[in-house]
Amino acid sequence: MARGLNRRQIGVTEEMMATFGEIVLRMSHNHQIREGDPYREKDWDAIERHREMMGLSDAEIAERIGLSRNQVLYIRTLMERRRFRTGHYARLLELGGGKRFRTERFTPHLDHFRYSEDALELRAAMNYPPDRARDYVEKGWWRNETQRRYLERNAAERPDAPAFVLPDRTLTWKELRDTAERVARGLWQLGLRPGDVVALQLPNIPEFAIANLAVTWFGGVVQTIHMPYRDAELQTLINHGRSRAIVCMGAAKDWSAAGAALEMQPQLPTLKHVIAVGETPDGAIPFAGLVAGDPDMEIGHEPSGADPHLLLYTSGTTSSPKGVPLNSHNMLSNARMSAPEKGLTADDRILSAAPFTHLYGLYAFHLGIVTGMANLLLPAFSPPALAGAIEEMKPTAVWFAPAHAAAMTAAGLIGKHDFGSMKMCLFAGSSSPPAMLHALQEAWPGCRVCQLWGMTELQAGMFTRPEDGIGKSAVFAGRASPGSTVRVADPETGEERPRGEEGEIQIRGPMVFPGYLRNREANETAFTTDRFFKSGDLGYMDEDGFVAITGRIKDIINRGGVKFNPQDIENLLSAHPAIQMAAVAPVPHDVLGEQACAWIQLNPGAEAPDLETLCAFLMEHRIARNKLPEKLVVVDEFPMTPTRKIVKGRLKAPAD
Amino acid sequence: MPRRKAEIDKDAAKEAVIGYCLKKGALAAGVADMDAVNRICPPGYRPADIMPRVKSVIALGVGGQTQGAWTVPAKALGYFGSTETRAYSISYGLAFYIENKFGLRSIYCPPDMDPDAGPRVPLQSLKVHAELAGIGARSLAGDILLHPDYGYMYFASVFTELELEPDAPLADNPCPAPSCVNMYRAIKRTPCMKFCPVQCLDGEVDEETGRQKIMRYDMAACAEMTQQYETVPSAIMDAIRATDEEDREDALFDPDNKMLWYKMSVGSGGLLAQCFECMRVCPVATQAPQADPILRHEHRLVPEAAE
Repeated sequence: MARGLNRRQIGVTEEMMATFGEIVLRMSHNHQIREGDPYREKDWDAIERHREMMGLSDAEIAERIGLSRNQVLYIRTLMERRRFRTGHYARLLELGGGKRFRTERFTPHLDHFRYSEDALELRAAMNYPPDRARDYVEKGWWRNETQRRYLERNAAERPDAPAFVLPDRTLTWKELRDTAERVARGLWQLGLRPGDVVALQLPNIPEFAIANLAVTWFGGVVQTIHMPYRDAELQTLINHGRSRAIVCMGAAKDWSAAGAALEMQPQLPTLKHVIAVGETPDGAIPFAGLVAGDPDMEIGHEPSGADPHLLLYTSGTTSSPKGVPLNSHNMLSNARMSAPEKGLTADDRILSAAPFTHLYGLYAFHLGIVTGMANLLLPAFSPPALAGAIEEMKPTAVWFAPAHAAAMTAAGLIGKHDFGSMKMCLFAGSSSPPAMLHALQEAWPGCRVCQLWGMTELQAGMFTRPEDGIGKSAVFAGRASPGSTVRVADPETGEERPRGEEGEIQIRGPMVFPGYLRNREANETAFTTDRFFKSGDLGYMDEDGFVAITGRIKDIINRGGVKFNPQDIENLLSAHPAIQMAAVAPVPHDVLGEQACAWIQLNPGAEAPDLETLCAFLMEHRIARNKLPEKLVVVDEFPMTPTRKIVKGRLKAPAD
Repeated sequence: MPRRKAEIDKDAAKEAVIGYCLKKGALAAGVADMDAVNRICPPGYRPADIMPRVKSVIALGVGGQTQGAWTVPAKALGYFGSTETRAYSISYGLAFYIENKFGLRSIYCPPDMDPDAGPRVPLQSLKVHAELAGIGARSLAGDILLHPDYGYMYFASVFTELELEPDAPLADNPCPAPSCVNMYRAIKRTPCMKFCPVQCLDGEVDEETGRQKIMRYDMAACAEMTQQYETVPSAIMDAIRATDEEDREDALFDPDNKMLWYKMSVGSGGLLAQCFECMRVCPVATQAPQADPILRHEHRLVPEAAE
């Protein structure tokens, strides 16, 4: 449209635009060139020579080119529109106050980083209910806290204090910060960007801490893979997590994770980089090379509290994996708010017997980051290694799974080593036999024995506090962690159960994950309509809000229509003098549908009791007859999770 | 009734006109040579195309930014710096003043764009008027006018049937300043060229004489930064062409574009042009003796107060 006429009336075609567009623009005042200062000097010859250089009017251009004025007007204004680039106003935003625009430092907006499709999908999974988010923010539970911010703070405030400690090696906060930043630059140079998932399969060694903090330094997402996992699990988890890199051991005693990842790369379409700690196979990138770092590499991104931070997996290591995305809000608020309730400060020293690849171990890691205390490292668990580490490195707080303590007890290490540095210890990972906790409390009078109930989906959901005493801590997994609400509900109707009655434990709070990654089916049943997470754990709550765990819903045995929870049987069996650990689970039965089978692992040197003897032992404790196990299997060693929890799904049913 | 022209003393009239401008707050005022204006401006953009019986073109300039304004963030400078409306109100008052005092028709020349040719073509060139009236000289910063004493000013014009003696253009061009010449000798760029956010400025300085040799100005690029009204149709077009709802929402409602709608809704058209970075780094614009209102106060007002 020009002067009220459209292009058909003016006679402009797209071809005419293509033919004359450039020359019209050049002859117009859109591009001006002036030589000397002819107007001020009234140099009329020069002014005449300048007419075209300084820009002609539409009528003058029309005369020069041989078009009508309306055609020039139309072509010029449309060319101006087509050449106009929007969004330049943002170039001004960082200027002023002494800051000037510098071409060499400017990145055009179109060239700025964009999240990959996978990263956006992961971000989309951080789908918290808006009313919960508002509540958590208003109450100050969710803040803009990130590992990087805490790391910077610790390095500034406690530069020479130990951050991660091995018996022969200490990494201070300053060293850790600087090393993590250098590795972050190295990862950035490899092309890793915010939102990219980086898998870590490392034991509790300083490289785990460095890699974790380096990945989250630039907004990457850490996916942990347990050390016992091999090719099949790696392939499933890396493919589901769409991990772009893996940091793993170059060589271990029986297996090279880096070698396996390299071999599997054709089947792992997203995996671009295999980074090896220690010995580096051909094709892998040496972690030590990243530590050397490129000081000139600039990282143009700092993560925020709401960014995804962790991608963990709960089960289904070879099929139907359940990916749990978590952000800094979830993890660090939970650690920040629970540290004072455990009496933990920057002056403490924490040791986790659980691996950092598991959220229970990571909880110790997160507590160290938010408080500034030292994390003492136990690369691999064995009863003597743990007992020795406690005696030698003198932690004030230790994270145990019941199986760790059971193994140390069985090995006669409790009275043999000095555990006097511990002022508190925590038991989690599986059900803790009360008798064992009482015995440990007695053996460690200066230490407050506590329990914790947590899950991959929520880190620390409940725990007993040191002041609660062993009376509560031996029986109950804890009371709600700061900011969370716990209830016990009927698993079928969803109605809240009266105090003391068993039901499913449901929890809501700032640390609860938003939902499983790419698993709509699981998400449909994971939450109640009021957004409580249905844990699948059974328990009851006492009048003071303490919750005892009584089992898993899926472990319930349905014997001919009569349902019962086998956990009390397991606890009694574990107290049998010949038995180190026990599990009871259903096995199929032609008539009853299911019947109970007991699996037992004996104490060293103990003689295996038969089923009849065991049932008599149980009857002495007045157990209902219908709950007695009807099958018995003695195992050499239970299949265990990395946190020393029996994997019931892998127990083999006895042959009839 | 209009007074007879013969009764008007041209010198006294000019003194009254210039005196009015300065009294009302203009830093400088002058009369452009009408013949020169007509020779420079193309047909359709000459004063007589707006006011057929115009005899004189009066140009005036008011001070731009305060010294404090130059220190604020670039995104806010537009809010603190613009005094153009003050220039317009003085010229508007001047037109009335001339009609009242001399009985001759006058208009305040609209500082606007030609509705016939689109928003990059001015209705009249206030720049040519001011330059020929001797109150500014073209700079390397896209021909923005600078004054050796007052630095960077906003200009307005009045067309009148009152016949006034024209002034001469400035004898010297303050651009480039000696420090800019030194910088050019070192890096072949002056500050305005170096720090332009869209790199729309280029040119050459005669290193021997220290005078301008060539000025190159990419007005199209400058417009992308300063003339945000051109973003309005572009944003709407982007929204129309967007292939999905999210892109459409971005095109219309991202903060940049929402600011456009806001500025349009409150009618703050002046704030649609907000980039002043070439002037922020210009020593003439910011440090000319009376460009600095604080120094101006010392130079002008304090002696006056002492009298």
